[in-house]
Amino acid sequence: MLPIRPTAPSSTAHRSADRDAALLDALRAGDEDAFVTLVTRYHASFKRVARAYVSTDAVAEEVVQETWVAAIDGLDRFEQRATLKTWLFHILTNKAKTRGVRERRSVPFASLARAGDEPSVPPERFQGDGATWPGHWATPPRPWEDPERRLASLEARERLRAAIGALPETQQAVLTLRDVEGLEAEEVCDLLELSPGNQRVILHRARARVRAELERYFEEELA
Amino acid sequence: MSFDEIVCREFVELATDYLEGAMPEPTLELVEEHLAMCDWCRDYLHHVEATAGAVAATADDARFAAAPPDTTLQSLVGAFRRRAGGGDTA
Repeated sequence: MLPIRPTAPSSTAHRSADRDAALLDALRAGDEDAFVTLVTRYHASFKRVARAYVSTDAVAEEVVQETWVAAIDGLDRFEQRATLKTWLFHILTNKAKTRGVRERRSVPFASLARAGDEPSVPPERFQGDGATWPGHWATPPRPWEDPERRLASLEARERLRAAIGALPETQQAVLTLRDVEGLEAEEVCDLLELSPGNQRVILHRARARVRAELERYFEEELA
Repeated sequence: MSFDEIVCREFVELATDYLEGAMPEPTLELVEEHLAMCDWCRDYLHHVEATAGAVAATADDARFAAAPPDTTLQSLVGAFRRRAGGGDTA
């Protein structure tokens, strides 16, 4: 039997690309409701990504606002070589970088993100060197039954939200772009000026921490 | 004919590389050999996938949709209206 095959990116990205296309037509026609929908939809993600570059929530808010002003300005010039979403995130990261420089935080994203060698799973959950099977699980993970249903509760969503919010800002940015917004790895490397390897390390650190928190939640639920 | 093997402690660091399909052939082979034998690491891999899925689902969660402050939204709508209006009169 083959082990689990690597999965293609979820269909979320495609669904939202279609939604974006319909929105774009509405925006160009001057539809204010469409504009408000878009601003609201991206607000949380925009702020998280901006926050990786600037030092306060207030400045991140300003970066988000500047992004929308620039987007309104550029709407007629947008040529749909990228999705509307990718185009918007390009404007956002450019504004955030400029702001970061003005704030003298002109450190490249990659060095802000230096992750250290924090393990994905605490070392004590594996057998030690003198054990029968060194490096193999001592306290193995338990299978998660029907995680979607169990994570649908308000409490679970709160825990998930808190876990994401507790990540280092650079990890939040990468997790937001990849797993929340469904951008491709290549696009995220381009936006954040990261090497593919570095992007994956940051994404993995973020997922590993959130996974650990969800595991705690599920264990408590069983207790 | 592998000379080496991957242990669980190593696999957990490779889960995202594996899911991303970003793994050089010799490592990929070792990882697949390990996964074929190790239920626990398959469980771990499922955890990582489920985590990514749960994070994705937050995009549609109304509780995560933090709207911008009212004044910001109003001034942006104003800018949008001026653009739309400008288009009409041009």
